[in-house]
Amino acid sequence: MLVLASRRSCLQVIFLLLWLCPLIAYAVEVKHAEMALVGQAFVLSADLDYQLNGKAKAALQSGVPLYWDIKIKVEQQREYLWDKTIAEKTIRFRVQYNALLNVYRVRNENSGNSYSFSTLAAALNLMSTLRNYSIMAVDAIQPDKNYMAAIKIKLDRDALPLPLRPVAYTDSQWYLFSDWYVWPLKK
Amino acid sequence: MAFEKIKPPVSLSIVILFGLIMLSLQLMSSSTQASSELSAMYSWLLLANVLGSVVLLGLVGANIYSLLRELKKRAAGSRLTTRMVSLFVVLSLVPAAIVFYFSMQFLHQGIDSWFNVEIDRAMEDALELSQASLEQRMRWNLKQTQQLAEKLQSAEENLPESVVALELETLRENVNASEITLFSRQGRIIVSSSSNPSDILPSLPDENVWLQVRKNGEFMSMSPVRDDSLMVRVMVTVKTDEEQYLQALFRVPVRITDLADSVEFAFARYQEMHFLRDSLKLSFSLVLSLVLLMSLLAAIWVAFISIRNIVAPVKELVKGTQAVASGQYDQQLPVIAQDDLGFLVESFNDMTHRLSLARDETRMAGLEVENQRAYLETILANLTAGVISFDAQYRVRTANQAAYRIFHIPVSHIIGQTFLEIAEGYSELVEPLKAVQRFLEQTDDIWQHRLAFLGPNGRQELLCRGTPLFSQEGVRVGAVVVFDDVTDLIQAQKNAAWGEVARRLAHEIKNPLTPIQLSAERLRHKLTAKLDAGDVDILQRSTQTIVQQVEAMKEMVDDFSEYAKPSKKQAVDINLPQLIQEVLALYALQSGTRFKLSHEDAQLTVNGDPVSIRQILHNLIKNALEAIDGKGLIEINLKRVQKNNADFIEIALYDDGPGIKEEQIEKIFEPYVTTKARGTGLGLAIVKKIIEEHGGAIWVDINRKLGAGFIIQLPAV
Repeated sequence: MLVLASRRSCLQVIFLLLWLCPLIAYAVEVKHAEMALVGQAFVLSADLDYQLNGKAKAALQSGVPLYWDIKIKVEQQREYLWDKTIAEKTIRFRVQYNALLNVYRVRNENSGNSYSFSTLAAALNLMSTLRNYSIMAVDAIQPDKNYMAAIKIKLDRDALPLPLRPVAYTDSQWYLFSDWYVWPLKK
Repeated sequence: MAFEKIKPPVSLSIVILFGLIMLSLQLMSSSTQASSELSAMYSWLLLANVLGSVVLLGLVGANIYSLLRELKKRAAGSRLTTRMVSLFVVLSLVPAAIVFYFSMQFLHQGIDSWFNVEIDRAMEDALELSQASLEQRMRWNLKQTQQLAEKLQSAEENLPESVVALELETLRENVNASEITLFSRQGRIIVSSSSNPSDILPSLPDENVWLQVRKNGEFMSMSPVRDDSLMVRVMVTVKTDEEQYLQALFRVPVRITDLADSVEFAFARYQEMHFLRDSLKLSFSLVLSLVLLMSLLAAIWVAFISIRNIVAPVKELVKGTQAVASGQYDQQLPVIAQDDLGFLVESFNDMTHRLSLARDETRMAGLEVENQRAYLETILANLTAGVISFDAQYRVRTANQAAYRIFHIPVSHIIGQTFLEIAEGYSELVEPLKAVQRFLEQTDDIWQHRLAFLGPNGRQELLCRGTPLFSQEGVRVGAVVVFDDVTDLIQAQKNAAWGEVARRLAHEIKNPLTPIQLSAERLRHKLTAKLDAGDVDILQRSTQTIVQQVEAMKEMVDDFSEYAKPSKKQAVDINLPQLIQEVLALYALQSGTRFKLSHEDAQLTVNGDPVSIRQILHNLIKNALEAIDGKGLIEINLKRVQKNNADFIEIALYDDGPGIKEEQIEKIFEPYVTTKARGTGLGLAIVKKIIEEHGGAIWVDINRKLGAGFIIQLPAV
């Protein structure tokens, strides 16, 4: 009786998830990513796509800075153990609207470089095209093992202004992140 | 007990709990200050507080659930707990709700008051002013650059390229630009001048700039540079033969930059706040609600614990009282606190202690009475006299075993019945019981009465003494009657009297008989010769008569002396069947009489004088022979019986003669009672005397319908 009940509730949860799935359409996505060996290091090139919805745009227009984390991970696949993380890197961008100059400023938090754009599209374009980011040295991997690389973009909700956070955590419009984009690493 | 010691006191855990709640709430409220370092932890703190609330809610819910279950089961103390908890919840909820409502009002109004139309407009105006000021500056720089371009145009037409470079340096210093660069039509750098000699490569315009310059012939923009200062970038077309472009970079003075930054910062902050207005209200309301919810829940939970502690002794008391009501007097409750309730519990313990003492005493007394009663009953049961008690309606209340032995009626048959009802089943008891009933009903004093009836063991003589019972108010509540079986006593008295008579007869009568006989014989002897034949004949007959009668008298006196003397002279073990066979052998030749002896295989031995036993048998057989007139059947049965815990040998002797008349049965064993023409009437009296001297009994078998029957019981060996 109990087993039946739990099985039924399990099914209900699955149906609910299936029904919810279309709602979680990724607002951000990784279109393409690859890692190439340049000299003695692996460098990343990726094309990303940001689709900001009304709420995020309104917040940006009101001067709220948005922080984006682009996470890159390289894992060694192992047969019997869990995968081992070889390299992990986060590229962090800040986008903020400057009302005085009417420009969108993008700042790479890793390098400290900042760029100004008169349109939002241009600003997002800068963050969309990643070229030649050095991820790891060539000797970090061994030729006879299998490796997978993965990339993901995510809006850092914890960096939002405090009053906005409870809303951001409960409103699906603020669920701005992509799925993990995974591809095998070619040596 | 050990657990009690290890367990921290409830009050301490409550203090710790409240401390934790206060700490987490304080942290959360601190983190709402934007400057706070806890800001990063805000989400976690919020989650922790929500979880805490859920846990508290669970605790309170569990308490309510268990309370409801107790209520349903009508458990002790549950109603009191419910009332106290409800009271507490109402008392705490109402003020909290009022405070909450007004706090929310103030909060919303306070946040709304930050924003109004004037400030809105002022902020926008300030921004516009700054923008206008900066734009003016840019236009001024553009104008300067355009003039520069014109100068350069004329210079280029006349001077070689190397001189142009020097000229550019001068021009740059004139307009106070930080950098001036001349680009070819293709975007190649022709010549550049910078205020900072270390800048080897000039700042290059991006595609957007080129696009605008080629389209409009000029471009100006302001953008921040690395060290937070503002830079104006101006680019114009130099209209030489081959089109060239001049780019000039002007640094905005620090003071203006600062002012612009300040306006920008304030405006951005204000815009942000404006945007976050609703979120701000929401998050403050959330924090306030959480604070209230957690405090309320914690307070209710603590209230549950404290109320349970308060109610615990009451609960115990209720349980204890129920136990006492159901008869368990040895209830002792633990005294938890030295307060009023503790005093109550102590008093309860005292009460139950005394109750149990009283109960024990009563029980002991009851036991004592019961023992006494049982003792009396045992004595009564083992009395040889029958004791029967009656109630006010003269129905039998109790009767002892001796009563059964006397009346031969089972005790269970007589309890609850009157004597008249008992007598209906036993015809021989009708008269005596009626007499007793009469005494019971009529006599108000102690009475005594003798009665006789024919029991299964022969005639029984009873002496009964009755005492009416009165209650303390003098009402007759019944009576008690004691029956004594005096059959043996009366028999012994009779026997003694007869013995005395016999002894005297023998002594007084036998002595003169011999002289009478001798005198008669002497008369005959002396006078026979002297008298004539006629007289002699008379003499002869007379003396003959005298001698015969004297002989008869002698015989009679011998019988008496026989009756008077003790019969049990030499006691030996006698095998009864063998002895009876020997006696019967003497009568075997009697024609026309049949003897039938039957006996069981058990040992049929009695202790007694063989001569006396033989005499009994002879007497009885002679009687029987006379009764059947020498023709018929004489039957003797032998068996071993048990009576009054003793073994007896029963000899039953039957004949098929005319039987004994009913009126003779009662007196047949008394001397001088006979149905025969001849005989002294002492035969059966002697039999009875011998048997009684041997400890046995003889009676007429009244159940025998054919002929006469005697039953003898002698103690077995």
